[in-house]
Amino acid sequence: MMMQRSMLLLPLAVEATMHAQQQRGMATLQSISIRLKSVKNIQKITQSMKMVSAAKYARAERDLKAARPYGIGAQQFFEKTEIQVDEKAEPKKLLIAMTSDRGLCGAVHTGVARHIRNELAKDDVNTKIFCVGDKSRSILARLYGKNILMVANEVGRLPPTFLDASRIAHEVLQTGYEYSEGQIVYNKFNSVVSYSLSQLPIYSGATVEKSEKLAVFDSLDADVIQSYLEFSLASLIFYTMKEGACSEQSSRMTAMDNASKNAGEMIEKLTLIFNRTRQAVITRELIEIISGASALE
Amino acid sequence: MTNAWRAVGITYIQYSNIAARVLREALRTELRADAAKRNDSHVKFTPWANGKPAPRQTQSES
Repeated sequence: MMMQRSMLLLPLAVEATMHAQQQRGMATLQSISIRLKSVKNIQKITQSMKMVSAAKYARAERDLKAARPYGIGAQQFFEKTEIQVDEKAEPKKLLIAMTSDRGLCGAVHTGVARHIRNELAKDDVNTKIFCVGDKSRSILARLYGKNILMVANEVGRLPPTFLDASRIAHEVLQTGYEYSEGQIVYNKFNSVVSYSLSQLPIYSGATVEKSEKLAVFDSLDADVIQSYLEFSLASLIFYTMKEGACSEQSSRMTAMDNASKNAGEMIEKLTLIFNRTRQAVITRELIEIISGASALE
Repeated sequence: MTNAWRAVGITYIQYSNIAARVLREALRTELRADAAKRNDSHVKFTPWANGKPAPRQTQSES
């Protein structure tokens, strides 16, 4: 008996929900037009953001070309000296996250943050983070807030200058955290459509002095090495900031382009629904009028 | 060999930046306007300790 009742009830319930869904799906003409308008506005915004970032990208790429020698020169020194990190001593790592304050640019910031998260998952006791840009801070602060040494923000509004880089380098050196090795995690710009996550190694003066290849260089003393390392840190930071800024702008360009395209698709669909609903409303009104007229006859 | 600026407690970065600023200011007027743009930096620093922003003891100028 119960079975029969429930079997009878079931189709009724299904019918009720279907009816409700149809009601929800058949939005009123006004609500569709409001939605259509807002999507159109969003498309306008994303399109203009794309234009802005395209202009900024062109400049960033030009700047990057000029900044590349800084990075390459500084990297060459580390490659040629073949620095060996002392395995026995407890490694104290410093990770510098090169991001910026601004979002809406695809996965540039999350990529950097993810790499750092993986590094921290290996060893989160002897690793500290220096966040350049608010984005890396906001991603990392929740899980690894204790590892953050310092945050530099107001990055990315204007193209980075060497003074910005040298001030960051200065802060890195002044934190009082004695790192033995480190990494600058940044996005390396390949082309307009591609960038790749890269790391550059950095070393402290003590680590560099232990290198055997250092004897190859002429007239080197601790003072020169210290000065050079300070300068090379600033150069590397400058170079990676430029790379990061360029990848960010190019990535924002593609992201905004995709957003505009998606908005376009949505507008197409919404216009179709809008017109169909309008037709339906007209037809229904006609039917009402005609049937009303025929009832009067 | 200890440099005078090192003895004062200035790092090489600060030393070279001061030199660069002086050079930019010595440029001709028509070139100076362009170079002056490279003279400023807006980056702000906030030290963090124990997962929270910590107040800084002394504000250092580069």
